Amino acid sequence: MTSVLARRTFRDRAVPEAVEAVHAELDGLWDDAPFVPDMDRMTFATAVIEAATNVVQHAVPESAAPVELGVDISVRQSSLTATISAFGAAHPELHGTEVGMPAEDAESGRGLALIRALVTTVTFTRQDGTNIWVLSRDATPKLPGGPGDKLGGLGL
Amino acid sequence: MELSYEVKDSYAEIRAAGRLNMVSAPKLREFVAGVVASGSSRIVVNLGETPFMDSSGLGALIGCLKVARQAGGDLRIAVVQPQVQMVLELTSMDRVLTAYASADEAFGDD
Repeated sequence: MTSVLARRTFRDRAVPEAVEAVHAELDGLWDDAPFVPDMDRMTFATAVIEAATNVVQHAVPESAAPVELGVDISVRQSSLTATISAFGAAHPELHGTEVGMPAEDAESGRGLALIRALVTTVTFTRQDGTNIWVLSRDATPKLPGGPGDKLGGLGL
Repeated sequence: MELSYEVKDSYAEIRAAGRLNMVSAPKLREFVAGVVASGSSRIVVNLGETPFMDSSGLGALIGCLKVARQAGGDLRIAVVQPQVQMVLELTSMDRVLTAYASADEAFGDD
């Protein structure tokens, strides 16, 4: 695995305002890693916010302590990776692995399908009372000789 | 998110400036419901200053569309930015919420 070129972390109570804080961390990350193409920023940020929102909306505390949202985002030359954690959350009820889009008039239920469409891999694990989602997006390939062709990867 | 509206000749234009996410989605729902209740059921949501929308925001737009149609009108969106267009396309909701280049064009055909 190649070295981490930029990284941001966040951990706080899983309340709606935490989603705004994750937006701010993403903005800061792109400031630290200006070489990441707009398309990769747009898709990855959307997936991260969807996953963080999912924790805030659906995570159920396992004990009297409130659930905390953790987000750890790393930029590598060839990939973007985010670990979204629900600390102190009960095991989620997962309804199978096939997630499709709901009916056109549905007002919710698109988040997980959207995440899958935006990133290369999505994994879920549960470890020591924490639900952990890992999202990874491979860098958008650049055409040889194209305007963005420097050293390949994320435009380095 | 900053919300404002202006009643035009044949529709009401709502400007939504800021991120449309789980924090702002309920505000948009409430705002549009208020505009519809005040007598304007033909709504254009101008998204020219909305750089980001997630599935919560999309759900709010669908809810607002239902409210407008139940009142005998419709809801259309205009000046859609790239991230919002991406979310609409990936969810296939671009077939339901057609994006117009400007607020004026949104109800230009009827």
